[in-house]
Amino acid sequence: MKDTDPDVELLARIGNNEPAAVNEMVTRKLPRLLALASRILGDADEAKDVAQESFLRIWRQAANWRSGEARFDTWLHRVALNLCHDRLRRRKERPLSDEDTAELADSAPPPDEQLETLDRSARMAAALAALPERQREAIVLQYYQELSNIDAAALMNISVEALESLLSRARRQLRSQLADTPGLARPGRGKS
Amino acid sequence: MTPERFAYLADVYGADLQRWPDTEQRAAQALLDSGNLHARDALQQARWLDHQLDSHQLALADPALVRQIRQSAPRSFWSRYASWLSPAGLVGVGIAGIVTGMLVASMSVPLPMLSSEVLPSVFDQGDAEVVFTVNAEETEQ
Repeated sequence: MKDTDPDVELLARIGNNEPAAVNEMVTRKLPRLLALASRILGDADEAKDVAQESFLRIWRQAANWRSGEARFDTWLHRVALNLCHDRLRRRKERPLSDEDTAELADSAPPPDEQLETLDRSARMAAALAALPERQREAIVLQYYQELSNIDAAALMNISVEALESLLSRARRQLRSQLADTPGLARPGRGKS
Repeated sequence: MTPERFAYLADVYGADLQRWPDTEQRAAQALLDSGNLHARDALQQARWLDHQLDSHQLALADPALVRQIRQSAPRSFWSRYASWLSPAGLVGVGIAGIVTGMLVASMSVPLPMLSSEVLPSVFDQGDAEVVFTVNAEETEQ
């Protein structure tokens, strides 16, 4: 993982106050930050706040960025994750209530050909929100953010083995929850 | 790689071998290529959940958020004040043009047109004669 950090040159240009570099950084990182925060927090508005605050940290850090230490993308994930943790703590570690989860699952999609797609997305969001916080974090980092197991484990301050345990339990719970959903039948387990 | 190890990794990392640890990918692919049914079954199970995970869609970033974030970035002195320096510069150029025009107009008025009363008396012929006369009297003394 000692390959060249693709974000370093862009950071230097931001440090030189190049407007085009600012735009490129927003294009490159905003979708990733929103995806991370939305899935961890389960709240689009809070995810926007986290993204904005993360970018303020980027602007402050850009001119002083020292390559050769952490990869910028990993550092950025740590910043955003910490901001998410702050917000989760402020919720007093209250997981989404059944009512909130039901809202996610029951938000009525428009009656058109996209109905099934939107319905599946809403059910997946609800299943994700119902996971314990650490399991959700593990699957968001490893699956959705496509971080390596080493980076994801480091961000969560756990070993790779502990990460694998969280991932395994998360996937098991998701399978169980989604399999109970009408129209989402799981494939039968064959015999080896 | 044993089929059990393959099933464990599929259960943890999903059906895409690219998401598996680098050190495991080649052996996993070899097991699949060998036609191991247990491995294929594990992959099928994992693929179902991956498909569900992929169905989770997120809204695109709205333009207002993008604009706010861009504006929060630090800008250089000139770009920070460019918005009001530009009109200020135009006003300055305008004022400079007016002043230059007035100066040129005043210098283009021909000198003979000016009244003799305006000129200092040193240019008056009469005064010059007086001066020469006084000097001549001093010389005679």
